[in-house]
Amino acid sequence: MMLIVGTVPIGDMPLTFGEVKTEGDYLLINGQRIPITQGTGAMVSAALATTSYLGLDAPHALLAGDIGEGKGSRELYQYLIDHIAELSPDVLALHYWLPDMGQTRQLCAAIDKCEQRPLLIADAASMYSAKASGLAGAFDIFTPDATEIAFLADPEATHPAYIARHLFETDISRAPELAKVAYENHGAAKLLLVKGATDYVIKDGEILATVTEPDVPALEPIGGTGDTITGVVSALVYAELEPHEAAIIAARANRMAGKHARVTPATKVGEVITQFPSVFKDYLCQWSNVCCIKGGN
Amino acid sequence: MAFLKKQNKVKFEGGGLVLFDEVQQAMAAEKVLKSSGYIVRLVAPPPELRKGCDLAVEINLVEQPGIERVLAKNDVFYVSIDPLRIKTAPLLEVIKVTDFGEWVMVKAGNMKLTYEKSSGVIVNVSGGGCPDIPYLHAGMIDKRLDEAPRPKDLGFTLCALNLERAFDECLTLHSGGKKI
Repeated sequence: MMLIVGTVPIGDMPLTFGEVKTEGDYLLINGQRIPITQGTGAMVSAALATTSYLGLDAPHALLAGDIGEGKGSRELYQYLIDHIAELSPDVLALHYWLPDMGQTRQLCAAIDKCEQRPLLIADAASMYSAKASGLAGAFDIFTPDATEIAFLADPEATHPAYIARHLFETDISRAPELAKVAYENHGAAKLLLVKGATDYVIKDGEILATVTEPDVPALEPIGGTGDTITGVVSALVYAELEPHEAAIIAARANRMAGKHARVTPATKVGEVITQFPSVFKDYLCQWSNVCCIKGGN
Repeated sequence: MAFLKKQNKVKFEGGGLVLFDEVQQAMAAEKVLKSSGYIVRLVAPPPELRKGCDLAVEINLVEQPGIERVLAKNDVFYVSIDPLRIKTAPLLEVIKVTDFGEWVMVKAGNMKLTYEKSSGVIVNVSGGGCPDIPYLHAGMIDKRLDEAPRPKDLGFTLCALNLERAFDECLTLHSGGKKI
């Protein structure tokens, strides 16, 4: 099972668990309708587009409503801490929630006790809490952007709002240098996919690949286009691609989906996600040698 | 069983301190914050952070903006809110503006806000990772800058604080207060 965990911006939505389906412009999870917008909705939708194309089981999602007050986030942490062993996912992708260092420690301790350890992915504030609690190395993949790689490099920062000025960078060109510092300071997961004008796939401080084409600068302002990369990575590792292969393909697919959608800074992320099936059809075989699959060419 | 219960208790690690001049204010802060649903605890501030009295309230630093709002609403006065790790840098105030022709993207820390130049309509919010950001995204998109809700009024986290800075800069740029 692939399990995605995160909050959604519906204040009164209770803790919800189930297999993900689509219903029109919404995701449907155990009777709850989730908008496909920036955040966990975009990530889950991109993961579902990928697993659907590959003919895999749909992702499961564990979601809770939270508009920033933290209650839904705390319920997510606690449910996972109590049930991760019985859920036993192959891939566990953590996304938006209120970062809590104590609960993150307890969750990682619960994961350590699992009979089969899931492949662990974190993005958004779950990445913040993993790093802030000193447990980044327990994760297999982080997907930071240019600012977040500076945060991972700063050993004292517990949130990207408090990054040391000499490390802060909005330009992606310093990503390799900052990634090295992040690894030295134990602030990085085993693999980093750093998202920016150049995407970097970095393992243990060493650059394995860069992705620059197609160049679609208008993807950056679109809320959710970082979330979609994480969703695609999560689905591809669930399809048993090696993490670095999954990261390279996800970076390429996101750019190509943006190009196909002819995005402008005003485009909404749903328009990008709808392009993934055609992008996979046209390019996945060429990029990965995964050719004979349901929906493939 | 008592042993097991102790094992299951999550140790609170907030990462931030609210500092006060007076013990009474610290105790009042704990009370109003707990009644607003925040997880906080009274602690003694480390000597290097002490600015007033010997009592502080430990908070989840990420929740700083929401906590400031609750304290202000309840007239609880404090000296400052600081990261618990003493080497932590001060809050970043770096702004970067990118001109996309018809649109302008303003980046403040980890948050980006993009609006259409001609109308001032917010077309996208991106970046961040805290749960109030998708909520703010939904509330601000397709609204003009002068009619959109302010992140500081609706948000609860440091991501919202950065978005507020981006929003402020967008207002200044769109009103002609600065050239792009």
